[in-house]
Amino acid sequence: MSFRLRLAVFLVASLAILQSVTAVLVYEVTRRQVVAEGKRQLAIAGTTFARRLDDVSARVSDNVQVLTLDFALRSAIAQRDRDTVRSALRNHGRRIGAARMLLIGLDGTIDADTQEVSPPERKFPFTDLVEGALEKPTAALVAWDDQVFWIVVVPVHAPALIGLIAASIPVDEVFLQREQEQSVLPKTTELALQNSNGNWVVVARANAGSGLAGQLLAEKPEYPEKPALIEAAGREYVALATPLHTSRESRPIVAVLGYSLDEALQPYRSVAVTWAVLLAFGLVAGLLGSVLIARGVSRPIEALAATARRIASGDYRPAPPIAQAGEVGELAAALTNMAEAISEREEHIRFQNAHDNATGLMTRVAAEAAIQQMIDVESGSGGSLLMVALARLPEITKTLGHAISDRLMRDAATRIRGPAGAALVARASDSEFLVWMRQAGQGDAIALSFRLLDVLGEPYREADLAIDVAPAVGIALHPLHGTQASALLQRAEVALFAALGADEPVAVYDPGADPHRPERLSLMSELREAIDRRQLQMHYQPKLNLATGAIDGVEGLVRWQHPKLGLIGPDMFIPLAEETGNIRRLTRWVLATCIAQAHAWDLRNRRFRFAINLSARDLDDPDLPHRVGELLAIHAVTPRQILLEITESAVMGKPDAAIRVLRQLADLGIDLAIDDFGVGQSSFAYLRRLPVRELKIDKSFLLRLAMGAEDRTIVRSIVELGHRLGYRVTAEGVTDQTSLDYLGEIGCDHAQGFFISRALPPDAFDAFLAASPWHRENLLT
Amino acid sequence: MRWFRFATAVVYICAPSAPAGAAGLGVRISDTRGNAVSDAVITVAPQAAGSVQPAPTPATRVIDQKNETFIPYIEVFRPGDKVVFHNSDNTRHHAYSFAPARQFEFVLAPGESSTALQLDKLGVIAVGCNIHDQMITYLYVTDAPHVARSGEDGIAQLSNLAKGEYDVRAWHPQLRPGAGVDSQRLTIADATELKGLTFTLSLLPDPRLPPDRERAGY
Repeated sequence: MSFRLRLAVFLVASLAILQSVTAVLVYEVTRRQVVAEGKRQLAIAGTTFARRLDDVSARVSDNVQVLTLDFALRSAIAQRDRDTVRSALRNHGRRIGAARMLLIGLDGTIDADTQEVSPPERKFPFTDLVEGALEKPTAALVAWDDQVFWIVVVPVHAPALIGLIAASIPVDEVFLQREQEQSVLPKTTELALQNSNGNWVVVARANAGSGLAGQLLAEKPEYPEKPALIEAAGREYVALATPLHTSRESRPIVAVLGYSLDEALQPYRSVAVTWAVLLAFGLVAGLLGSVLIARGVSRPIEALAATARRIASGDYRPAPPIAQAGEVGELAAALTNMAEAISEREEHIRFQNAHDNATGLMTRVAAEAAIQQMIDVESGSGGSLLMVALARLPEITKTLGHAISDRLMRDAATRIRGPAGAALVARASDSEFLVWMRQAGQGDAIALSFRLLDVLGEPYREADLAIDVAPAVGIALHPLHGTQASALLQRAEVALFAALGADEPVAVYDPGADPHRPERLSLMSELREAIDRRQLQMHYQPKLNLATGAIDGVEGLVRWQHPKLGLIGPDMFIPLAEETGNIRRLTRWVLATCIAQAHAWDLRNRRFRFAINLSARDLDDPDLPHRVGELLAIHAVTPRQILLEITESAVMGKPDAAIRVLRQLADLGIDLAIDDFGVGQSSFAYLRRLPVRELKIDKSFLLRLAMGAEDRTIVRSIVELGHRLGYRVTAEGVTDQTSLDYLGEIGCDHAQGFFISRALPPDAFDAFLAASPWHRENLLT
Repeated sequence: MRWFRFATAVVYICAPSAPAGAAGLGVRISDTRGNAVSDAVITVAPQAAGSVQPAPTPATRVIDQKNETFIPYIEVFRPGDKVVFHNSDNTRHHAYSFAPARQFEFVLAPGESSTALQLDKLGVIAVGCNIHDQMITYLYVTDAPHVARSGEDGIAQLSNLAKGEYDVRAWHPQLRPGAGVDSQRLTIADATELKGLTFTLSLLPDPRLPPDRERAGY
């Protein structure tokens, strides 16, 4: 929940709660007041009603009294003329609104009655009224035949007291309504009498259907004497049961007066509606106000949050000015200070990152970026990148420690800066500097290189030390050798490498000599697949036995039929395989293929000795002898049929482990041959330790055999020496008949070369053999 | 104690006026509240029927109508006596009676007197004026040998009572119907005896007074 929302909810909720509590309080107070008012009014109404009945009785009794003074009536009564009396009573009863008129004798018997009742009542039931009426007119309510009447009894004098006239006026709904119209009674008035069972029966109600009396007097003869709050027919009333003055002989009668709370509250309802509208307005205003206030608070905070995010992403501009004092303003100021502090510190870190501590020069990464930027800006114009190495530095560091090599590098940097002039000088690695010459060609670069070699050639002197650093420079040219700084760096590095090995320690990058060309990398990865996908083939070059004049051996040579590049020679991919560690797989494949081929030819009665080349790396594989033995066993090929060739350099300086592998192979009965004999650092002393059975004279001697006497001497010497030491000797690279003849003369054992045949796939080999003058069956034993 | 005091009062009142050798009776009449009751008629009749006294000479008594009032309120008559109504007012009066003992009607102009009306039957004849409701008088016709009316002090005196047993009755025009004892037994043993009796009567209000004082203005 956002701050804004929370504030709004809080304000609106408190307003609503406050208003609700107030509303409840006001309602309760009002209601209590209304109830109190209702009680008061009912108390008044109860008294008023009773008094009103007295007034009525006075009026009626006056009327009846006037009637009793009627001489004719008096005379009729005195003379007991009953019919006359009855008709006169009826006549007068109509006048005063009485339902029934009676003439009652002094003994309480009914002498005349305007109402025909059967059986005729003998005794007037309300003796107390008669009793009282002897002295003066009496009046009271009575419950008579389950109706309520107002009975007035008036004495009749003629001139002495001769009887009483009773007038019975029904107190019914009409009566109540008339009283109501005169505003004496509350709207809800009911009359109830208690019947003989003690239950209350409503006999008249002024307001039909309120059910008030039923509620108030329900199921009990007692009734509350004080105004009570009751609910009837879904409305609330303050109700009061007022006992009415009745004849002693009558069952009790009560008037139930109701004060409707709903009606009393009616005027307040409009107030409530007004209040609700005001509350609604208040809520809306509160909501708007709180949103505005919250916005005033949260806007700057949101702005500051945005600033903080911006700072996080590296934009250190100060926070937008916030026209607010207090906490938010302080926060804004703090944020601005923080941004400045971070900015300064970052600047410092960036500088440190981009510069070498020892020399104060740019680091390689920074220099690369700077060079790239220059290249991008000055596209088209050339440039030269010089990589300057102090070749002996690692050695110096190891011997004299880092401190001195740091001082040496600092000194070297100073020396380089002199000739470099405006060129960019950076430290490329521990022992290397790089110099970027803008808009400089190869000539400038080489010139600078030599000047650098001059200044760096002077030994570094410290105390009694004079240290020669052996500088070298590699040069890469832009855009000739690359358009990217990183490429130029790499190429310059390659050139530097070349320079380190050369007499002249300056080299310009030579794409042809670069063993690190990118296409080699792709071949490396493809070689693995080539083995799996059978893109490799074995070709076989025949070896001619010069003593027998027959082909009795072959050299297995692997070929790579590349799907895009075509046939690739082993010179190209064997070093790759060695570098990438694929050579063991390749060797195994070659061994398996050759041995399988030997077996195949065996079956066709063509037995050859298979010469198979091993890599120096294969000698690190202690499993090799075991593997070869397995292959021989599988294909039922005798070990003598296998001749494993290794170069001198492969065995020179090898640890004993490699020699152990060779011995194990020899122990299997496999012959070993030294390949390319005569061009390496041949050491017979070393050779003696190896179980070698054959020497292969390097083809470089054979190429000029026909012409040069020197080479002939060398070849003959090797053959003779080999034979004396017990080695067979094979000459490779025989290209003409003269050479072949000569080899035969000097007793060389085997000859091999294009003159006899180039290496051929198995099928072509069969064809060649068939047509060959050197073909013999099964010469090998 | 009240009784004792009353008794001494009776003796005090009766003693000086009682003739020697004749027994006397003092009757005190009071209402239920103890107030003295005037205009009560006390009749004393011997129980033995045989001692009938010779009828006295018939008399004519006048009931005057003055200030819209019959005067007196009660008049005692012997059977055969006559009554004459005289109008002393400036207004007419319409005297009437519906009493079974004697019914009549006279309209009397101012200063006029009615004819003498002989009253033969025993009984009470209530006479009213049809014009003035509050006017009423009672003609008490009795043959009892001793009759007396109570005065303002509520005392009726009777004398010359011979020895013997008597019934003493009290009557009053305002007697409440069907209420109270109105007959007492009296024994005179000595001719010089002075007796005292008390009647307590339950009475209705005086009909001559307006029932409601508030309306007395007209």
